[in-house]
Amino acid sequence: MLPTIQLNAYNNTTATKYMDNNNMSLLPVEKLKYNIHAWSSHSASYHPKNIMVNKPQDQSSRWSSNSNNHMQYITIKLDKMSVVKTITFGKYHKVHVCNLKEFKVYGGLSPNNMIELLHSGLKNDCETETFTLKYKSNDIVFPCLYIKIVPLVAWGTNFNFSIWYVELKGHSQQNVVEKIYDDYISYRENEVIRLCLKHFRQRCYLDTFNSLQQLSNIKLEDQLLTDLHTNLVFNGDFDTTEEILYKASERNLFNDYIKECKCIPVWRRITATDKNGNSPYMRGGHQMCIDSELGKIYMFGGWDGSKNLNDFWEYDENLEEWTCLSPDTSKDGGPSPRSCHRIAFDSINKQIYILGYFIESPDPNGTNMENDFWKYDIPSHRWIKLSSNTAANGGPGVIYDHQMVIEPKSQMIYVFGGRTQAKNISEDSYSGLYSYSIKEDKWRLLRSDVNQPENTVQLKSRIGHSMLLNPETNELYIFAGKRYKDFSSERKKNYLSDFYIYRIDDDYVIEVSRNYTMQGGPDAGFTQRATMDIELGELYMLSGLLSDRNSNVDTVKNILWMYNIKKNKWTKIYQNVNFGSEYNNRISDKEPCTRFASQLVYDTKRKVQYLFGGNPGEMSDPCLRLNDFWELKLERPNNNEILRKAKFHIRKQKYKEICNTGDYLQALKFLQTNVSEVVNHNDENESKEFRELTQFLFHTQKSSNTNNNENIQGRNNISASVYKERTELYEFLLKYFPTSMKEPLENLVDLVPMS
Amino acid sequence: MNSQNVLPSNSNTHHNRNHHYHNLSRSSYNNNSLHSSFKSKSVCQLNCRYCQGVLCRRGMKAILLADTRVELYSTDAAPIGVQLVANDYVTRNCLCQIRDVACLGCGNVVGYHVTQPCEVCMSACNNGHFWMFHNDSVRAKERMDSTGQKPLLWAQLSYHDKASNTYDDECEILCR
Repeated sequence: MLPTIQLNAYNNTTATKYMDNNNMSLLPVEKLKYNIHAWSSHSASYHPKNIMVNKPQDQSSRWSSNSNNHMQYITIKLDKMSVVKTITFGKYHKVHVCNLKEFKVYGGLSPNNMIELLHSGLKNDCETETFTLKYKSNDIVFPCLYIKIVPLVAWGTNFNFSIWYVELKGHSQQNVVEKIYDDYISYRENEVIRLCLKHFRQRCYLDTFNSLQQLSNIKLEDQLLTDLHTNLVFNGDFDTTEEILYKASERNLFNDYIKECKCIPVWRRITATDKNGNSPYMRGGHQMCIDSELGKIYMFGGWDGSKNLNDFWEYDENLEEWTCLSPDTSKDGGPSPRSCHRIAFDSINKQIYILGYFIESPDPNGTNMENDFWKYDIPSHRWIKLSSNTAANGGPGVIYDHQMVIEPKSQMIYVFGGRTQAKNISEDSYSGLYSYSIKEDKWRLLRSDVNQPENTVQLKSRIGHSMLLNPETNELYIFAGKRYKDFSSERKKNYLSDFYIYRIDDDYVIEVSRNYTMQGGPDAGFTQRATMDIELGELYMLSGLLSDRNSNVDTVKNILWMYNIKKNKWTKIYQNVNFGSEYNNRISDKEPCTRFASQLVYDTKRKVQYLFGGNPGEMSDPCLRLNDFWELKLERPNNNEILRKAKFHIRKQKYKEICNTGDYLQALKFLQTNVSEVVNHNDENESKEFRELTQFLFHTQKSSNTNNNENIQGRNNISASVYKERTELYEFLLKYFPTSMKEPLENLVDLVPMS
Repeated sequence: MNSQNVLPSNSNTHHNRNHHYHNLSRSSYNNNSLHSSFKSKSVCQLNCRYCQGVLCRRGMKAILLADTRVELYSTDAAPIGVQLVANDYVTRNCLCQIRDVACLGCGNVVGYHVTQPCEVCMSACNNGHFWMFHNDSVRAKERMDSTGQKPLLWAQLSYHDKASNTYDDECEILCR
């Protein structure tokens, strides 16, 4: 059997054509009918057909394998070819050792050719769980006729696997699916031809290449790259090759590559004060927001180790100067001292909103539990109390460690999670997802923690999580945090490493990941701080408290992660190698010491992160808080650096070809001047590679002569070995270009079955 | 219902209530120490009521010490067809630490294991069994002795067989 052709690379024009399928996301999903097609085994009366009915009270209403090895599966055949979007697992009404702790779901048009749609696990409780399935790959939607569920691990070791109930949702409307099927089939056909084109050109079957291109009318790549190929590989015109690369850099074509490059974190400690030489005191649990347009950072409140604060500061990025707007906001008609609150900045009206706080010791009469909600108008330096009781207005109660974001264009605020503090409320009362319309002064509950639409992905409330708003797609990104397990009678700590997208427009929850740690992402944790760059499509997360697998003690580590939204991929950018007070003192001027409860804001215009204060988690001094202020830049290679490197490789090839002609004097001259000037001599590897080029000056001419005899078909009398070398160089240069422009990444030869 | 150590029970409703203060720590336990009322009991094979899988071949019908209305089956050694699941807990009846056992075939909870018996139960008359099966989770069948005519009795089982609590721990299959 041939391996599946990967669904990725495609060229510009066709990619947009297939993007039309995105409209499908607005169609309502329906429950898909299915039958059991095949299964590995079953025990006793636990026949796989039982998974078609949901009877949580009946212990026998399930499929159970008769072995717990990795060969177990159920294959489902859908009544109609469909786009399958979610899978829902029903469970027994009690915990059960046969529940699937880990499983995979595959899908495809035939049972022998399926791709992985999901890798996840069920909780060992009685709650129905719904998962989103992968239904498109790089904008190509694919239909399925078969779905295969493969159990990997059961909750009880040595026990067989059981599945109680499976429900699939998606689209099966004939007209919709037929269109998707046709697109998918023609996409695969096109890709096969492109793979052939790539192979024929690579192997220099140029007549075949040309006739296939003409017959199929399919383009292998963007015209710019075809020009590059012609000039470099056929013509050996290295100057024009350099010219084309220069033009490409001017068109910012290397941006995708730059984004992919590992970035280097550069920390700088800012020692700014106000005009009187003062700067904000040490604190944790404070809040900051940023006005990227004017380069101003605002900071309010926090906990200094012994008391709550309500001082209000402004930092000017250009002047590198603090200004204390108010030493005590309550004296200026503003909020009382607080920590663990949240603030959000309205970039259009230049206003700051403040909600929530942590209540130190709830007084029995509930008098210190005011659900206040504030707005600060920056231009007029005025505090406005929007509400004294948000709960009475249909909003959240007194919450802390929640998240609050603002969508300035629609003037909407979204508040999610946090713990509700009130009399007679247990500690586990989590606040749901609320929206607040600034224009209408109106709160609305979008999702409560306990009451969510049936058989959909659940958005469980939590504390100490992160939430960011993408104003372009009108989506909320929600991840990590802490939540106590519901089912177990013991109150186990549960740090999360899940990731959800909430689509505001149609009130829809997408589960991006239930456990990104399993996928190579950050460890589960809470109190992490997150920022976002919409332009780059990246999230940044500075870790706070992490659960340590080996002990009950939380560890504090400074780890900076980057998340690529489109690729759904986490990358670790930075980590403090050591921690502990001694180490922290030593690095205090080079990079920030480990901490949590700090604040991180991101200037989207200047592309700089700012970090202030926090709790260093010092065992010997639990009241210690920090007041250091840091700037963090993530440096990546720029166009000039890429061009230089590209030129080095191009000139290296030109030099070798001069050597082949036997004109060693000219070759030496070229090496000393033209090659040398584009070498980064500080880069050890590159410098070594450069020095080793001299060996070609001593090659005997004989070997090149013999090669020259095998001239290849067609053009310009190029020897086969030179054609191969130039092709390799061409493929090397391709890495700088976006996937959408270039030939497929895969090779036809890799599809040859070896079994 | 739940819990702990058991009295032997005759197949009818007549319960043997002879008190029997014997040290039943498992290390010193041996077949000879069994009270005569236990020795005369028949040995049962226990199958899972849900998936029919074999759970144990050394079952004894018994009643619960703490609540003599509760009938169950017990055995003296870790049974072949079950595994401990979840964590220890205690019930209202006594201070014994117990943990559920589930059938390896279907995963359903079919009984429990006394991981740490309490003093009260230990000082009462008991059969020294720490593995219990719920009546409604198992199907019991009396085993026959080598003649195939009479029920196999506990007196005929040796303690050493405990280790070989396997499917064919008696020579039922004869080469003839």
